[in-house]
Amino acid sequence: MPIQEQGKIIRNAELQDSYRKLELYAPGICAETKAGQFVHMQISGLRDRILRRPFSISDVNKDGVLTIIYKVVGAGTEVLSTQEEGSTCSLLGPLGTPFSLPGKDEIPVIVAGGYGAAATYLLAKRAESKGVMLLGARSEKDLILTKEFSDIPFELRTATEDGSTGDKCLVTDLLETIIREKSAKKLRFYGCGPHGMLMAMGKILIENGLDGELSLDHLMCCGVGACFACVVKVKADNEDGWRYARTCKEGPVFNASSIYYE
Amino acid sequence: MIDISVDLGKFKLKNPVMTASGTFGYGKEYADFFPLEKLGAIVVKGICEKPSHGNPTPRIAEVTSGMLNAIGLQGPGVEKFLHDEDYMPFLKKVNTAVIVNIWGKTVEEYERVAKRLDEEKEGITALEINISCPNIKEGGIAFGTDLKLASRVVSGVRKATTLPLITKLSPNVSSIPDFAKAVRDAGTDVISLINTIPGMAIDIETRKPKIANIRGGLSGPAIKPIALRMVYEAAGAVDIPVIGMGGITTAEDAIEFFLAGASAIAVGTAIFADPFAPLNIIDGIKKYMKRKSYSCLMDFIGKVNIDKK
Repeated sequence: MPIQEQGKIIRNAELQDSYRKLELYAPGICAETKAGQFVHMQISGLRDRILRRPFSISDVNKDGVLTIIYKVVGAGTEVLSTQEEGSTCSLLGPLGTPFSLPGKDEIPVIVAGGYGAAATYLLAKRAESKGVMLLGARSEKDLILTKEFSDIPFELRTATEDGSTGDKCLVTDLLETIIREKSAKKLRFYGCGPHGMLMAMGKILIENGLDGELSLDHLMCCGVGACFACVVKVKADNEDGWRYARTCKEGPVFNASSIYYE
Repeated sequence: MIDISVDLGKFKLKNPVMTASGTFGYGKEYADFFPLEKLGAIVVKGICEKPSHGNPTPRIAEVTSGMLNAIGLQGPGVEKFLHDEDYMPFLKKVNTAVIVNIWGKTVEEYERVAKRLDEEKEGITALEINISCPNIKEGGIAFGTDLKLASRVVSGVRKATTLPLITKLSPNVSSIPDFAKAVRDAGTDVISLINTIPGMAIDIETRKPKIANIRGGLSGPAIKPIALRMVYEAAGAVDIPVIGMGGITTAEDAIEFFLAGASAIAVGTAIFADPFAPLNIIDGIKKYMKRKSYSCLMDFIGKVNIDKK
């Protein structure tokens, strides 16, 4: 069950380039967290801004430390990047529908774009069978957590759009390759990343008669399913064939087969 | 002994703090965080006749000290609301007042929705007639900004139900007293105000409006002084109870609304930042009353201290 908890900042440091790693002491939330869930954070000291910001939970440990990977993109994350050790911020969480963990006989294949990788780390860590991580980004500097995934150990394959490291292609091209390579194996697919990448991934899975779990990112407001701001189209048994589902409550993890592709 | 119960004429609330429609879902969404019984009333998100998709996204944008929204009244429709476990069947089990906000695209739709709710009114304390949503193409604000249409909706709903009626006014009019009097004359028991104020925001990089619907309703602390002024004007114009809302975030904000003449208040956007805001406001009201030695809300409702000239 979600709670409100004051998270105490233990570490807030650069991970690489404009990506940062935030570690918070929040034992109540950590104890409840399932892979793929998020926390809704009130950033202290953010003037004239009233809403919380959602952050995927990248990792939790038994000592009550919750890890978030974030990129400085706007006013909220700018102020967050200046928060010092020992300061606190209000967290609501864990929120959202989590990933379901792969079975023992299944090989998890995680497809992540950019810092979407952060939202899948706990999933990889908790998976009983070690799998494959397909990580894509614009450039080498945007590929995060490569060492962490390799250490689990997951087989890491990378793609960059500019070819600065790994294959020069899209991460969804790596997905098509692996579907061909391992067609005899029982694979379980997971995705997190930019919306376009996830829609492409969902279509590839469906074209190959497969399904998977996609973690969608959307502009959120309440974070608990009350305001209906963060909706996405999912298939529905009505005249239109779709309805709007709340990313924060019914998601962020949706089955690829449930999404309404336009 | 401090008594914070409030008498709104045809119904009573255990305390004067309710949730504003659209900001608290259908109650269940917040049940994990605190016992809903602590609220004076739960006002649910707007209900119309049929299931409704609402508007395309993006539906919200954060702005200075507030937010714009154009959700567009996405909802399950009245039948699902009455019978699906997530809605009325759940709310019936919560020991507090339940107020159902209703809307329609036509006067007749408002009447039909009110009638259906009247037919299965167990657990429903009152209806709040939404004639002020700025985010839908038909209905909503179109009714709330025309004196004759506003009267027609309210008198139509009045005939369709014996439930107590609250009419939620739009701030998008030149004279709040005129609308307050018109809906009173049409049969409303209580007035609530304000709904959001139509606004706009643009992303200067993409040059696109930040809301897909172009316009969105402004809410949050940014609108509180406007709301307070309008509540003061409404309370001065009619002698039926007024429920005040618009940017209320703290107990101090709430108390200002009581002093301006509100008999009860609703917390809206503040809940998005802090689900516990309504409870903190209830505590703060009690502390203020203790400090001022007030024993009941009537000791300070409408008692703004204005020098007579």
